[in-house]
Amino acid sequence: MFARILRHEWRMLLADPAPWVLLAVLAASIGYGTLNGVRWTRFQEQTIERARAEERERLAQHDRDLQLIAAGEKKVAPAADPGNADSAGRRLATRYAVLPPLPLAPLTVGQSDLLPYYFRISTDSREAALAATEIENPHRLLSGRFDLAFVLIYVYPLFILGLAYNLLSAEKEQGTLALALSQPVSVRTLVAGKVTLRLLVFLVAIVLLAGMSLAAAGIDLSAPETSLRLGLWAAAAAVAVYGLFWLALAVAVTAFGRPSATNAAVLAACWLLFTVVLPSAGNLVANTLYPVPSRVALVQGMRVASDEANTRGSQLLAKYYEDHPELAPDSVERAMTQASLIRIATTADIERQIQPVLDTFGRQRASQRRVIAGFTWLSPALLMQHMLGDIAGTGTHRHERFVEQVARFHEEWRAYFLPRVFGGVRLERVTDAPQFAFEDESAPAVLDRTLPGLVFLLMLGLGISVAGGRALSRYPIVG
Amino acid sequence: MPTSNGSIWNTCTTEDDIMIGRIARKEFLETVRDGRFRVLAAVVLVLGLGSMAAGWSRYQDVQGQHQEAQAATRTQWLNQPAKNPHSAAHYGMYAFKPKSRLSIVDPGVDPYVGVSAWLEAHRQNEFAYRPAQDGTAAQRFGELTAAEGMLVLLPLVIVLLSFGAFAAEREQGTLRQLMSLGVARKDLLMGKALGVAGVVAAIVVPVTAAGVLALALTSEFGSPLRDASRAGLLVVIYLAYHGIITAVALGVSARARSSRLALVMLLALWFGNTLMAPRLAADLAAAWHPTPSAFEFQTALERELADQTEVRRSLETRRQEIVKAHNVATVEEAPVNFSGVSLQEGEEHANQVFDRHYGRLFDAYEAQQRVVTLAGAAAPLLPVRGLSTSLAGTDIAHHRDFVRSAEEYRRRIQRVMNDDIYRNSRAGVVYTAGPELWAKVPEFRYDPPGLGTVLAQQGWSLVVLAAWLVAACVFASRGVARLAAE
Repeated sequence: MFARILRHEWRMLLADPAPWVLLAVLAASIGYGTLNGVRWTRFQEQTIERARAEERERLAQHDRDLQLIAAGEKKVAPAADPGNADSAGRRLATRYAVLPPLPLAPLTVGQSDLLPYYFRISTDSREAALAATEIENPHRLLSGRFDLAFVLIYVYPLFILGLAYNLLSAEKEQGTLALALSQPVSVRTLVAGKVTLRLLVFLVAIVLLAGMSLAAAGIDLSAPETSLRLGLWAAAAAVAVYGLFWLALAVAVTAFGRPSATNAAVLAACWLLFTVVLPSAGNLVANTLYPVPSRVALVQGMRVASDEANTRGSQLLAKYYEDHPELAPDSVERAMTQASLIRIATTADIERQIQPVLDTFGRQRASQRRVIAGFTWLSPALLMQHMLGDIAGTGTHRHERFVEQVARFHEEWRAYFLPRVFGGVRLERVTDAPQFAFEDESAPAVLDRTLPGLVFLLMLGLGISVAGGRALSRYPIVG
Repeated sequence: MPTSNGSIWNTCTTEDDIMIGRIARKEFLETVRDGRFRVLAAVVLVLGLGSMAAGWSRYQDVQGQHQEAQAATRTQWLNQPAKNPHSAAHYGMYAFKPKSRLSIVDPGVDPYVGVSAWLEAHRQNEFAYRPAQDGTAAQRFGELTAAEGMLVLLPLVIVLLSFGAFAAEREQGTLRQLMSLGVARKDLLMGKALGVAGVVAAIVVPVTAAGVLALALTSEFGSPLRDASRAGLLVVIYLAYHGIITAVALGVSARARSSRLALVMLLALWFGNTLMAPRLAADLAAAWHPTPSAFEFQTALERELADQTEVRRSLETRRQEIVKAHNVATVEEAPVNFSGVSLQEGEEHANQVFDRHYGRLFDAYEAQQRVVTLAGAAAPLLPVRGLSTSLAGTDIAHHRDFVRSAEEYRRRIQRVMNDDIYRNSRAGVVYTAGPELWAKVPEFRYDPPGLGTVLAQQGWSLVVLAAWLVAACVFASRGVARLAAE
């Protein structure tokens, strides 16, 4: 009987153009979304490559100049002297700290179009180093990207709802439901048959399309990286459980025996609630409960601190020597110009003074993230966005890790150059200066973070299915 | 029984008016008595009011902080100790972007543009610190604002209200009954439209009232009257958009074979218009008018700034002019300081470079926005978004205008400082200026562009929107003219 239902449903599906139109739209969206993600990732990679090339050339030239000057074959003005540790560490020999996109980055643009993916590190204040941003039309940042994540979060549920919203109601409206159930078959078997067929169609479609988009993204599955394969499995699992949730929801809603149009309206409202209203409401709640102050407070704080520091410049230098006795010059003559020393001391003082302001920002942001984390349990769409961002490495988490590592690297950078400034040491090579290499989180650690979400969505989907199944047994076949 | 009645917009009689009123009343009551719609309307209403309140409190916070900071930066400038004017120019001032009052309704791109720039010598610094960078990933789902409620949620409510207007009546057989009563089709259409409008008004009127209240409560930051015309027009634009959505929904309902199909079609249209179109249009615009990467932009800028040939040439001319004017052998003997000239020439050269590069960038953004507006021919939300952010003073054009104003101010500081060096100092002599000079730089004031400028910028949006309104009404009336009872 089950097989007969399947066969019949398949014929019905073939005859109905609507599912195929939906499928075509989904396929086109997936293709376009993937290409868009790939284009953005390539753009980032290209920019990173350009920055690295510029750095390589500049540093090589720097070392060549140093050799020429040492050999007495070249003369330069003191301000442009490549051997001066202060100007080298601050301007001439700076390096880039780069967050390279992961292989799965084309999956979702995520926050990567908003948050900087490379910084130019110098001995100047950290705030100055971290202020870089990529150029993008702000209207585009506002409307968001048409990437694969957009398709998966918004379009894909609509596709499922479109397949399943009139599961039984259509037959009831055509008057064929009573006829079908006059045969030795239960409502549940009938629904199971209908759902199974849709699931099959849908799985075949997804596998084909996923293959298509992987090929379009140029992702090589035979690559040895296990992290890539783990990521793909996690993404597949996320897509599956997210789909399950929506399918279960559709079945549960149809189980109440309302007309197709009512089902469609209710499901549309649910979709709106989960994908639009709840995420933005979460955002609103987070912003209202824990408003992050305007950065203007920080700018002004820095200004006040630097005014104070500047008036006390020489005192600060003396104090700096007290704090860092190892840097104190054995003879004042060996120290470089007083000006750069005072600048370093004042910068350190400014940083100390604005730390409380920075801490406020950090605290509010952390609180906001906690609120949003709470909302992910209310909105599967928000949860999906977080999981995809984690898997693709374009979410907030990986970026924060990056910023933390950059902050540490900034300290290392200073630790390399500042003693040389204080000691009045002439640089011989700048290619020995520290280099930044981003240390990614291990794939299992990422999975650990994704797993609760996956399990939650699975349980939610199953729970709704069970409730829907119960409701089905009371399905009003007529009337 | 399809009848083609080409001109349904005949002169209205009083009886027609009564009929329209009756239909509207019936539609309105039916909706209001439906518990589901009461819930839906209540949710949209609460979201609208809540977002308005949140927008207001955010505005108060941020605007307060920015005004305070702007005053503080001025005080710091005035309280500088005696120093060389060029040191003062390096010390500079900060420009903090004021928040437009109507950002309470539509914050637009505010989260995605920087809030402050350092106005220092030699450099036009970019506006740094985009508020969105301090936000969470959830904000990429869109912020819950009054504009979002009016442009995204309410249209969906309208769709749910009106998809069955004709299709469901046909299914229930009541359409035949209505027609047998001799109800004119245009009356039917008008009645249905007014019924929807009544429900929409039940949501829009309180939200608008809340908006007016919110604006009025911000009066400590200048007169709210100045924004009244913008706010009024904003409401008109939103209502026009709701009119378009209602007309399209009724038109589809009249044509669709079943109410189910009408709903599915309208949901698809809503989705395409609201979520697909803005993204696709932005992609199209970016492909058409690409912007450079920040890295390329910076590299090109630095390269041109470093090229000093032009500066050297013009300095040589100025040197000769001064020598001739003062009738001296060398410029050092003249009763002026030539370094004032050379500093200012350096500024002028850099200004040209900045104007060229930033000008190109902003031109590209504006060209992109034009593409988006014209893509509005396919999706009416696009011109409406443009108009909404523009009237709220939160679009890229307003940001550009503020950036321009801040940059003009920065140049003014440089001119005053360099002019003082030129006139009052002598080469090789230590020179310091004091508070009188700092006070010569007037306070920074910014006046946002008037309504006329906005309308001129958004001319195409208005045209596209008007075209949509006409087309949607024609679509609805044609659909109803061909209405079949079964």
